[in-house]
Amino acid sequence: MKEEIVIAGFGGQGVLSMGKILAYAALMEDLEVTWMPSYGPEQRGGTANVTVIVSDDEISSPILDKFDTAVILNQQSLDKFLPAIKPGGTLIYDPYGIHHKPERDDITIIPVNAMEATFEIGNAKTYNMLLLGALLKARPIVSVDAVMRGLKKTLPSRHHHLLEVNEKAIHRGMDLVAGK
Amino acid sequence: MGKEVKLMKGNEAIAHAAILYGVDGYFGYPITPQSEVLETLEALMPWETTGMVVLQAESEVAAINMVYGGAATGKAVMTSSSSPGVSLKQEGISYIAACELPALIVNVMRGGPGLGTIHPSQADYFQAVKGGGHGDYHLIVLSPKSVQEMADFVGLGFDLAFKYRTPAMILADGVVGQMMEKVVLPEQRKRRTDAEIAEQCPWAATGNKRGRKPNVVTSLEMDSPKMELNNIRFQETYRRIAENEVRYEEYMTEDADYLMVAFGSVARICQKAIEDARAQGIKVGLLRPITLWPFPTKPLEALSKRVKGVLVVELNAGQMIEDVKLAMGNQIPIKHFGRMGGIVPNPSEVLEALKRDFID
Repeated sequence: MKEEIVIAGFGGQGVLSMGKILAYAALMEDLEVTWMPSYGPEQRGGTANVTVIVSDDEISSPILDKFDTAVILNQQSLDKFLPAIKPGGTLIYDPYGIHHKPERDDITIIPVNAMEATFEIGNAKTYNMLLLGALLKARPIVSVDAVMRGLKKTLPSRHHHLLEVNEKAIHRGMDLVAGK
Repeated sequence: MGKEVKLMKGNEAIAHAAILYGVDGYFGYPITPQSEVLETLEALMPWETTGMVVLQAESEVAAINMVYGGAATGKAVMTSSSSPGVSLKQEGISYIAACELPALIVNVMRGGPGLGTIHPSQADYFQAVKGGGHGDYHLIVLSPKSVQEMADFVGLGFDLAFKYRTPAMILADGVVGQMMEKVVLPEQRKRRTDAEIAEQCPWAATGNKRGRKPNVVTSLEMDSPKMELNNIRFQETYRRIAENEVRYEEYMTEDADYLMVAFGSVARICQKAIEDARAQGIKVGLLRPITLWPFPTKPLEALSKRVKGVLVVELNAGQMIEDVKLAMGNQIPIKHFGRMGGIVPNPSEVLEALKRDFID
C-alpha cells in the first residue's frame, strides 16, 4: 500500500493539522509516513498545502507532482491540484466557495459539504476533522481508531475532553460521503 | 527514550538529539526555516535535566562567539541557523577552525543570496565546503536526507569534531528541516564531567591548575614561520579526515547507464525520478554524498568508467557539479539541473531533465 495525498486550502482551515493527524495515525499503525508542508507566511487567508505520503515501504521523495488523492478546500487549490491527480485517483473537495466545478472523468470526484455541516454542528473548529472523516471513508488508509490513538498521544491531557467532539466530527464526515 | 519511534520535524530531531548526546551548550538566534531547533530546546528545558545550557543570543555573531568560547573549554557546544545567519557566523567559524576546536554548526539552508526567501535551497554548498570564512580551513560537512539522519548526524558531527579537533557542520535544507518523519532517537548519554573533559581535552582552557602549563587558545600567531607550521598541521588533519571519513550512498548503480548525483532532500527526489525512469526502461542510478567535505571522489571516479552520462541535481545554479567534474573528468558528459531561490523541483522535472540531456 502506498497513498500519496495532498491537502490544500486557505491557511487557518486546518490543512496542516489535518495532515499531521493523518501522519500520527499512520505512525500508530506502524506505517511509513512523510509530512511535508508548504511552510511559510501562510497564516489565515493565504493558501496552505501539505503532502502526506503513507506507505508500507520506505518513502523516497517527500516532494511530489502527482497524487493518488487530493483534499481541496478552495478554488485556487482546486485549479492548482486538479490536473495533478493521477488517473484513477480521488478528489475530495468542499463545494463551499467553489465557482468552477471540477471536471475530469478519469478520477473519482467526491464533493463533501463540510462547511455547511459545521454550520449545523455550530463548531467551525471541527471543519478539518469532518474532511478527515470524508477522506478516510473514501480512502481507508488508516483506521479511525488509529486517528483517535494518535490524537490522544499528541494532545496534551488538558485538551482530552475535546477527543469526543473530534471523533464525532470524523464519523459525521464519513456520513457526508456515505450519503452520496 | 529507548527504541520508541517518534514522528517529528527534522529541526525538532536536531534539538532532541543534542540533549540526548549530552551536549553542554546551544547558542542560537531564530531564523526560518530552522527556528524549531531553538524553540524545541526551550520547550524541553534541558537545563533542568541534563544541565545543558540553551541560550538565545542577541545575534548570530554573538552566538558563534559563545560557541567559540565554550569550545575552548572542551565543552560540547553547538549553534544552528539558516543561510543569512550562517554568513554572519563565518568569522567565528574561521577562528574556531584556526584554534583547532571541536564544535557543531547546523545550517538549514534557505534561498539566497541576501535575505532571499525562507524556502529550501542548497546554495550554501560553496560556503560550507570551500571555506566560507577566511583562511585555509575545512569543515567536516554532513548532509542529511531524512529526519533520522538529522538526529544521527548530531552525534556523528560531535564525534568527528572531537576526534579531529575541528568544527563540523550539518548542511541541511529547508525540506529536511521542515518535514515530519519517523525517527528513533538515541539513548540519553551523560554530559561529561569536568574531570573527564580535563582528561580527554588536555588542550582545553579548563582553569589554571598548579603544575600545568597554561593552555592558550588563540588563532593569532604573528610569527609567520610558526603560522605556516600551524597551517601544515591543519592540512595534515584534513588529509587524515579525507582518508578516513568519506561517507556516501549508492542507489541502483550496479546496472546503471546514467548516474544522478544529489545530496540532502534532493537525493530523495532523484530516487523517485529513478523509480519512474526505470519503469520506462531507463537505467539510472544515484550517488548521494553524505559527507560533502570530504567529498566521495573515488567512488565517483570509479563510476565514471561505467556510466554514459551524469546529471547533477541541486537546489542551486551549479555548485557541487564542480567537485563531481573534478572527480569524474571529461570523458563523459556531466550536466546540471538546478532550481534556485527556494524552488524545489518535483520528480517529473528531474526525469525530464535527464531525458532532455541524454535520451531524447
